[in-house]
Amino acid sequence: MSLNNNNRPQFAHPSEEAFARILDYYGIEWQYEPRTFALEWDENHNVIEGFTPDFYLPQQDLYVELTMLRPELSTHKNRKLRRIRELYPEINIKLFKRRELHSLMVKYGLDLESERLENSSPQDDTH
Amino acid sequence: MNENQLQTYGEIAEDIREILFTPEEIQQRVSELGQAISRDYTGRNPLLVGVLKGVVFFMADLLRAMTIPVELDFIAISSYSPESRGRGVVRMVKDLEIPISGRDILFVEDVIDTGLTLNYILRNLKARQPSSLEVCVLFDKPERRLIDIPIRYKGFELPNRFVVGYGLDHREKYRNLPFVGLLKPGVFQSR
Repeated sequence: MSLNNNNRPQFAHPSEEAFARILDYYGIEWQYEPRTFALEWDENHNVIEGFTPDFYLPQQDLYVELTMLRPELSTHKNRKLRRIRELYPEINIKLFKRRELHSLMVKYGLDLESERLENSSPQDDTH
Repeated sequence: MNENQLQTYGEIAEDIREILFTPEEIQQRVSELGQAISRDYTGRNPLLVGVLKGVVFFMADLLRAMTIPVELDFIAISSYSPESRGRGVVRMVKDLEIPISGRDILFVEDVIDTGLTLNYILRNLKARQPSSLEVCVLFDKPERRLIDIPIRYKGFELPNRFVVGYGLDHREKYRNLPFVGLLKPGVFQSR
């Protein structure tokens, strides 16, 4: 994970940064992309597909994946989440969907972020 | 509920697309909650604590549905906003006036969604060592939950939509609607 000049992670999407700021505000500890979960291996046991949830909240022992994808384009991500739950049943992971993110932004009056999210490409997702 | 029925609520209901819970349904459920709490807290003189401002409608009706002696107090906290985010972390802008150490505390909330605010408040209250601390919420949006909150009493589950009324606001409006309804999309998409 790379850090910027303020010792903050280089977030892959502005919504992730907005989300991190909200967590900071409410005193929720978080880590950005701390772990990659292997999902598929080749015959030589090399990982050929992995999944890195955006956030880990240690106090809640919860991974959070934000998705900017519209529901109709989330099939691939949903498949990865199903797979991660099959392979790692001991972990807690929540998918925070585009609509939920948008609601959060509107709730906190983050018009700029909410607008940015609304106008972002439905495929503008990093994982 | 059709347009004509909504019109009976006046100008404030013009932005409402659909009523989810009527005033009668809300009062019925609040009454049931009041009875359940009264049974469970008999002889314990609980202190009901709410966070301003949305809870005042629910709190007032809940108190009147209870049949045991109770005390009441409120807190207020700064909420996250574009203006406050530069100032660091959430803070209490109005504290309790009644000490809670050794008391049975029932925290009353109008709505829980992510659980971020409530998590902060419960941590703060727990640190003051009450004898017990339980949560009563009228409206729960479990789909949006990030932080697990143990809820002892729950009124209704809400869909993950923009709902207003009976204390729930959108940019400080609509709290005084006597029902809970869905906002028209254009209202929350534009400022």
